[in-house]
Amino acid sequence: MKLTLMGNEAIAYGLLHSNTKMVSGYPGTPSSEILTTVQKIKKDLPVYAEWATNEKVGFEVAYAGAIAGVNAAATMKQVGLNVASDALMSASFIGNKGAFVLIVADDPGFNSSQTEQDSREFARFARIPVVDPATPQEAYDFTKLASKISKHFEIPVMLRTVMRVSHSREIVEIDGNFEFKDTEGNFERDIPRWAAVPRAGRLKQAYEQLDRLDKIREYNYNELIKPKIEELKGTENLIISSGTAYGYVKEVLEELGLDIDLLKIDMPYPLPVDKLKDLVKKYNKVLVVEETYPVIEEEIRSENVYGRMSGHMHQIDEMNKERVLEALTKIGFYNGENIYKPVFTPENPKTRKPNLCPGCPHRDVYFAIKKVFRPKKSIYPSDIGCYTLGINLDAIDTVLCMGGSVSMAHGFAIADKNKTVIATIGDSTFFHSGTAPLINAVYQKAKFILVILDNSTTAMTGRQTTPERATSGEVDIKKVAEGCGAEVMEYFYKPDINETINFFKEVKKRFDETDRPLVVVSRQYCVLDKERATQFLPGIFATVDEEKCVACDVCTTQYVCPPMAYNERGKIEIDPLLCIGCGVCISGICPTDAFIPREK
Amino acid sequence: MKYQIVVAGFGGQGVVFLVKVLSICAGKKGYKFLGTENHGMSQRGGSVSSHIKIGDFYNPLIDLAQADLLIGLDKDEAILNLPYLKRGGNVVVNADEFPEIDANVFAVDANKLAEEGVFDAKGLNVFMLGLTLARVKDFPFSVDEVKEAIEEINPKFAPQNFDILEKAIEYGKN
Repeated sequence: MKLTLMGNEAIAYGLLHSNTKMVSGYPGTPSSEILTTVQKIKKDLPVYAEWATNEKVGFEVAYAGAIAGVNAAATMKQVGLNVASDALMSASFIGNKGAFVLIVADDPGFNSSQTEQDSREFARFARIPVVDPATPQEAYDFTKLASKISKHFEIPVMLRTVMRVSHSREIVEIDGNFEFKDTEGNFERDIPRWAAVPRAGRLKQAYEQLDRLDKIREYNYNELIKPKIEELKGTENLIISSGTAYGYVKEVLEELGLDIDLLKIDMPYPLPVDKLKDLVKKYNKVLVVEETYPVIEEEIRSENVYGRMSGHMHQIDEMNKERVLEALTKIGFYNGENIYKPVFTPENPKTRKPNLCPGCPHRDVYFAIKKVFRPKKSIYPSDIGCYTLGINLDAIDTVLCMGGSVSMAHGFAIADKNKTVIATIGDSTFFHSGTAPLINAVYQKAKFILVILDNSTTAMTGRQTTPERATSGEVDIKKVAEGCGAEVMEYFYKPDINETINFFKEVKKRFDETDRPLVVVSRQYCVLDKERATQFLPGIFATVDEEKCVACDVCTTQYVCPPMAYNERGKIEIDPLLCIGCGVCISGICPTDAFIPREK
Repeated sequence: MKYQIVVAGFGGQGVVFLVKVLSICAGKKGYKFLGTENHGMSQRGGSVSSHIKIGDFYNPLIDLAQADLLIGLDKDEAILNLPYLKRGGNVVVNADEFPEIDANVFAVDANKLAEEGVFDAKGLNVFMLGLTLARVKDFPFSVDEVKEAIEEINPKFAPQNFDILEKAIEYGKN
């Protein structure tokens, strides 16, 4: 059966077609669609597919299922694996009865992530096998392969996808007549295994882990690498590649007309290093092309092996064919022209900075925060989410990781007593990693303001529901903050900038009177959430009275709504196709009241 | 056959919808294809582009100077993506004017037409695809194939999209 599928959709099908019964994780581009697709295509099958509050929790929920004998999977982006790594490191010693597939989506080139990491390296660090798909087809096939290996060898297996696999589309061949095989979980007590303690229990497991890896190494060679070696022609030089990097190399070799052996590695860890080193000796030079770290190159390093470590391959950023060509030139495989040099290079192209959506309530909150808590006397730590884009309003000073805003607010409050610390975090991020540092701050009596931008959705990653919304009032963010011991204020957002500013003036008064963290819960909505937003948007569309506009830049630098731009006459105009009718700019953004309602 | 298309616009203009349409078209004709999207943290209003590679390809990204066709839903985004276009390639762009380049450029101020009520602004992506069908000679798909794909994606909105497509084709031919 053929379907046009995105890589993440292919992975979801691969999970179902591996009889995966439990899937958990946390959303983050480029991984988010995996779990949502499982939810969609499972229909009436008895499959648990639910978001967790963070990746650690999702890993542990799914992993418990695998210990109890059902096939399970955890899904996350690469920085999410950092959160779940504690569980992973331990799980790799313990293993599993049912299959356990750990799906991690990397983001070479920082398209939407604060780091550029290579999760293949993490698999090596954790000593678990990792498979590295190159296309949506392979994402489907390798998901099934990972499940099979995990079940057979009783070890977690990583499926490492990247943005160009997850967010690419292809016609994928999937099993047409697949019958889901339901299995009942059955936890069997085995304390020496599932509850192994240092030293004797864990030491024994460490030796067992090495044995498993040796067997998997053998499997990798016999089943995956050897058949590909046998197809090599034996040219003078060799290129070794893995994952999406393979696709770039293959196209470049064809487009340059080069006859060089190309070996694709499907499982970059554990590698049959001795056998690969023997292969490498048969060639004059070997170039390793991989993304993002030199994982394979490091394992097989020899004097005739080149790549990132030797400086022949680029060190940072996403793969492209020009970079492959440059490496081929540097190593001496190619001495022709650069066919990927642009023919057309625009002069001064206008670029769009990433921005909050038109009409997003986050913008108003940031605008009001800066009005009341002036930059010179404030520190603005923030966090990971849509609201990070508040950086465009110069309303964010730091971005570190999930939950970091709260801990850093604590630290800034201690270190710099001359400034007011006002931190921002989303509701999902607060549940992810914000509660522990808030408890710590209350306990340690640190004084800062934490604004929780509660739109009850994880907007940036496709509006998954947060615990609060999913359990309809049972988990209330205000009660949680109060339960942590903080002082709490609540704001019910209105698209009127004066209302928001006045509220934050009240916050300042309250803050001056307290000696512990002050939490503001701002009840908002996501404008992409059609269900809720239409209740709040008043439908007041804006235009500009050019006679009143004095081109003062307040709207374009301090409010920064996407429809706002200068026209040929040097006056602000509103793009009618982008304006969503929130009416906020009319409510008092402009010092000269140049924004007026549009008639039509 | 090999054909590489860059679709450039901003978030909310339906760039991804065009990827889906063209990928389904390719599938129906038995062509291999790979496509990918490029966007950052923005949802609405930020730069979005899609690369669609039809034929025997192995990675979804189009490299510089390689694209046969650039469909620009927005003038600035089209200009930004010009480096992907090969010499003598095709540009179909929503713009009142466009730089003089060594390529076949077809510029239409579609925003103005939408304001005048010629078509619903929400269908800009379909309108630009219609213009492409009318004006790009080597475009790999026919009107009927595009209509089939549009209907497959969303039968409910198919009549409205067909109407917009036909208006674009009629406009493009005149």
